Amino acid sequence: MADLFPPLVTAQIDDKPKVDEKVDYSNLPCPVPYEELHREAYMSLKPDTFEGLRFDFTKGLNQKFGLCHSVMMGPTEVPSQSPDTVIKIPTAHYEFGANYIDPKLMLVGRVMTDGRQSARVRADLTDKLMVKANAQLANEPHMSQAMFNFDYMGSDYRAQLQFGNNALVGANYIQSVTPRLSLGGEVFWVGVPRKSGIGYAARYETDKMVASGQVASTGLMAMNYVQKVSDKVSLATDFMYNYFSREAVASVGYDYMLRQSRVRGKIDSNGVASALLEERLSMGLNFLMSAELDHKKKDYKFGFGLTVG
Amino acid sequence: MDSTLSLKPRGKGKGSKGAPSSNDKSKYQLLKEWSNWSLKKAKVATHYGFIPLIIIVGMNSDPNPHLFQLLSPV
Repeated sequence: MADLFPPLVTAQIDDKPKVDEKVDYSNLPCPVPYEELHREAYMSLKPDTFEGLRFDFTKGLNQKFGLCHSVMMGPTEVPSQSPDTVIKIPTAHYEFGANYIDPKLMLVGRVMTDGRQSARVRADLTDKLMVKANAQLANEPHMSQAMFNFDYMGSDYRAQLQFGNNALVGANYIQSVTPRLSLGGEVFWVGVPRKSGIGYAARYETDKMVASGQVASTGLMAMNYVQKVSDKVSLATDFMYNYFSREAVASVGYDYMLRQSRVRGKIDSNGVASALLEERLSMGLNFLMSAELDHKKKDYKFGFGLTVG
Repeated sequence: MDSTLSLKPRGKGKGSKGAPSSNDKSKYQLLKEWSNWSLKKAKVATHYGFIPLIIIVGMNSDPNPHLFQLLSPV
């Protein structure tokens, strides 16, 4: 009988601090970067499905430096006149890449056999200031794109300035308002075609769920909700609405992180169902299977691949 | 290129009246042309030099990997 009482008393003492905890508004956590606002939702709902064969081999020479070779064979889509038909051309290419990943500096470069190159640089100039650059270069003139970002991380806010080609200038800012809610906004101006836009975003997260929303003057409105059912399973749903063209898309997806594999799947209101399976066959050897069924356009894509290293 | 060639004789024909304004315009155009030229050179340099740059930075990081490790497929 005496043994029953002590556990009840300790349980009450543990609950009280959680309820009486006052929000310390001068000590809020730093929010998620503005472009990662919808990170959890897009991890479940936009897995990178592919079509054909994919083989990636990554060789690490060093803790920080590695080379990677990848072969991709499969049909690639070519934009067609009408939105109903899909034109595919079978292609095969080899891509060579080099990565250098350091806590302060990250350099990632990839070059393909047709001359297309992608380069990504991320450098921490100081503790709070970070520079990022992202470029896709091609041999044909006027087909290259580049974007430079300067990020400043404050104690409970983040600010970013962007410069891109075609005279694109943008800035965004996100601030933690409470320990769980963060609000942000962005402005951008494009030179060609002359367009400017403004957008607002909000994100609310707890241990079990993340909800975020974004509105932009380009007509985009997106809302998504992710529920972490357990540490292995998370479910997500997303709603995107364009209020100029009056088109809405809703999707529901799941993400199962099991010990040896990871399965992600989603179904869409456009009649698209897709899934991606990554299975770890042994240490360093991963097997990938991807499927995307577009019932409206009657376009079925299946892919398989192997990742080594 | 063609448009600037056709404009130049007309500018000279106008005489000294239009000279100060054409000097200012040419400064701005010089700046634009210089920035276009430098961007083109930067694009070519990045296109050919970025991956060798990563390899050089990586080979000089410690522990230094050997050239043989870079080239062998294992």
